[in-house]
Amino acid sequence: MNRRLFSTVRLKPDTTSMMAIGVVVAVGWLAAFPVAGQAPVPRAANRNTAKPYVAPRTPDGQPDLQGFWTNATYTPLERPKGVTKEFFSPEEAIEVMKKAALEENEQTEPGTVADVHYDFTQFGLDRSQGAMAVNLRTSLIVDPTDGRLPPLSEEGRRRAAERAAARKTRGGPHDTVQNEPLGSRCILMDRNGPPALAGAYNNDYQIMQAAGYVMILTEMLHDARIIPLDGRPQLPPNVRQWTGSSRGRWEGQTLVIETTNLTDKFAFQGASENMRLTERFTRTADDTMRYQFTVEDPSTWTRPWSAEVPWKKTIGPIFEHACHEGNYGLYNTLSGARAEEKRAAEEAAKKGSLK
Amino acid sequence: MRKWLALTGVAVTLTVLPGAGQTPAYRAPRAADGKPNFNGIWQAVTEAHWDIEAHAAAPSPVLELGASHAVAGGLGIVEGGTIPYKPEALKTKQQNFTNRLKLDPEIKCYLPGVPRATYMPYPFQIIQGPKFIMMIHTFAGAVRTIYMDEHKEAPADSWMGWSNGRWEGDTLVVDTTGFNEKSWFDRAGNFHTDALHVVERITAASPNHLQYEATIEDPNVFTRPWKINVPLYRRMEKNAQIMEFRCVEFVEDLIYGHLRKQPTK
Amino acid sequence: MRTRAVVLGGVVGLLLASVPMQAHHAFSAEFDINAPIKLQGTLAKWEMINPHSWFHVDVKNPDGTTVTWMIEGGSPNQLIKVGVTKTSLKIGTELVIEGYQAKDRTNKAVGRNLTFTDGRRVMLGGSAGQAATPDPGGR
Repeated sequence: MNRRLFSTVRLKPDTTSMMAIGVVVAVGWLAAFPVAGQAPVPRAANRNTAKPYVAPRTPDGQPDLQGFWTNATYTPLERPKGVTKEFFSPEEAIEVMKKAALEENEQTEPGTVADVHYDFTQFGLDRSQGAMAVNLRTSLIVDPTDGRLPPLSEEGRRRAAERAAARKTRGGPHDTVQNEPLGSRCILMDRNGPPALAGAYNNDYQIMQAAGYVMILTEMLHDARIIPLDGRPQLPPNVRQWTGSSRGRWEGQTLVIETTNLTDKFAFQGASENMRLTERFTRTADDTMRYQFTVEDPSTWTRPWSAEVPWKKTIGPIFEHACHEGNYGLYNTLSGARAEEKRAAEEAAKKGSLK
Repeated sequence: MRKWLALTGVAVTLTVLPGAGQTPAYRAPRAADGKPNFNGIWQAVTEAHWDIEAHAAAPSPVLELGASHAVAGGLGIVEGGTIPYKPEALKTKQQNFTNRLKLDPEIKCYLPGVPRATYMPYPFQIIQGPKFIMMIHTFAGAVRTIYMDEHKEAPADSWMGWSNGRWEGDTLVVDTTGFNEKSWFDRAGNFHTDALHVVERITAASPNHLQYEATIEDPNVFTRPWKINVPLYRRMEKNAQIMEFRCVEFVEDLIYGHLRKQPTK
Repeated sequence: MRTRAVVLGGVVGLLLASVPMQAHHAFSAEFDINAPIKLQGTLAKWEMINPHSWFHVDVKNPDGTTVTWMIEGGSPNQLIKVGVTKTSLKIGTELVIEGYQAKDRTNKAVGRNLTFTDGRRVMLGGSAGQAATPDPGGR
């Protein structure tokens, strides 16, 4: 029975407050732009006098990438259908971000799925309340140049079909904890990767450099990657880890991280355990870092593919993300599903006994 | 000439020899900011993870694991030997011990807290900088951030606490508060509340070991502050690294198994 | 320019469709869209934890008994960055909660709207004004 205990008339956000949000957002992001290294930007002064940015150095002479960073973005991984160009104009990109920010802030309609959620904006979790690098690209994928994942190889198609078939036999999404998404189980999230891809919120990272190591702390799951730079070999091939085995080196201004030894349990975009990932971090301004990655997996795709997303400097601290420890939600979801089944069974029994 | 050399030789020797009863303090190599360099992979080698007080060997609570999971005897790491519990709190500790299979947070892959993380039988890595010192543990990938530069009060409670650190000479002093009440000190049920306050003092004692001491205070549980002492040894093997220990997967059936959908008849 | 606006609108619509958002479906699996609630009670505890924070609110029943509801909110991480702490929201504060009850019918709900009794938002105010007061800083 649908009981409305409160007014169904939700206050629509008034135009003035929406404009206010838009202006604040635009000012914040405009300060960050143009992002060095992207499509030519119509600022003649910049082009003629620009010197390539050189990051400050750590005490042992490496480019200093340290600090708090966010990879929050509104840009999708794949270019949407119907969009053919690689770059927005700066004005278009700002418009896209403004509109996305306004949509994020909109009130939800009571009785809709979107309404069954806490209000992001009260907790500062909407992306417009945090730092974000302006991205002129229409997709994160830069290669292939159509901005979309390359075709699956024959083996990739076969594995995708096998996985789909296996999913059908394992029951409903809430039948057992192992059927829930990895993020809901607090095992792994997009932010962790690798590669690191943003989600809806808490897209922060902390980078530290000590002699011979780089540490990347991911906010979600409070997950620290420690990458040795001493040229040691990867882990033995029989040792597979959720985040694989990572080894780093410097190529000029760029930190290059190679990752192997992944498992097929994470299956990034459908990848196999043979996936090889190369990530590149280059600081392009005091407050901006270019993050690029290339995925090679002939047992999944016909060719390697690459993506790029600008990271923006932000502030700390990164508070403890003890996800598994605080995961009441997972417990509630499973117990809720069992309670619903029980109610449905009792209803059916009642109907049956009335016949 | 020879007499002069002999005299200077003796003088040199005299300045190097320590006075009676003293050992020269080890001076660790410096990090770039002039502080002792604690970067590296470290591990405690004790039986304290079973029980931080002195204890004899004992059976595992799990029959099938036999001697593999039996408790190894240990001399304990508590200065003075006994943890000074208040009488009511001691009863809680004993109940914790009796019910440890159900209650020990380690079993559920929960973050180990402080100082338990330090003496778990797995390596941890220190990544040291002037503003932050990170401790990254194997178990559950637990991470501690030690704030060296800006000291704030804990904004909220957490499993690993909020750590403010400073150097006192060559000793790293870490002051941690902001704990929740949920972690234990070991597998024997030694526990605390959210009033826990831990002050750790870490000093390099040789090129390959640190001296680690922690003062533990919780007026809800203990009659006075007390200390633990445990050496931390450098992992010497080439290419030592922290491996993944993502144990959430290992405990899901334990925690959520009773909520699995039963097959309909 | 009219043409450009049309193109932008189309592009934005497509872009937003592919932006990965927090799995809303997970929440409508945990909480019942057909069980909306509106509660008023006093804050007994605010668990500032991840992945979601929880407000423990003591609600008085008509018969005078009190029941504690657990209300789900967002991760506190961004709030902490702007200075909100565990003392920002005082125990005993009167709160009004609109949301949806848990499917397992226990006294848990997701808090869609959290306000004080005067209608101000409890956490960040947006255009509605000041809310939970960030601490000016540590001692």
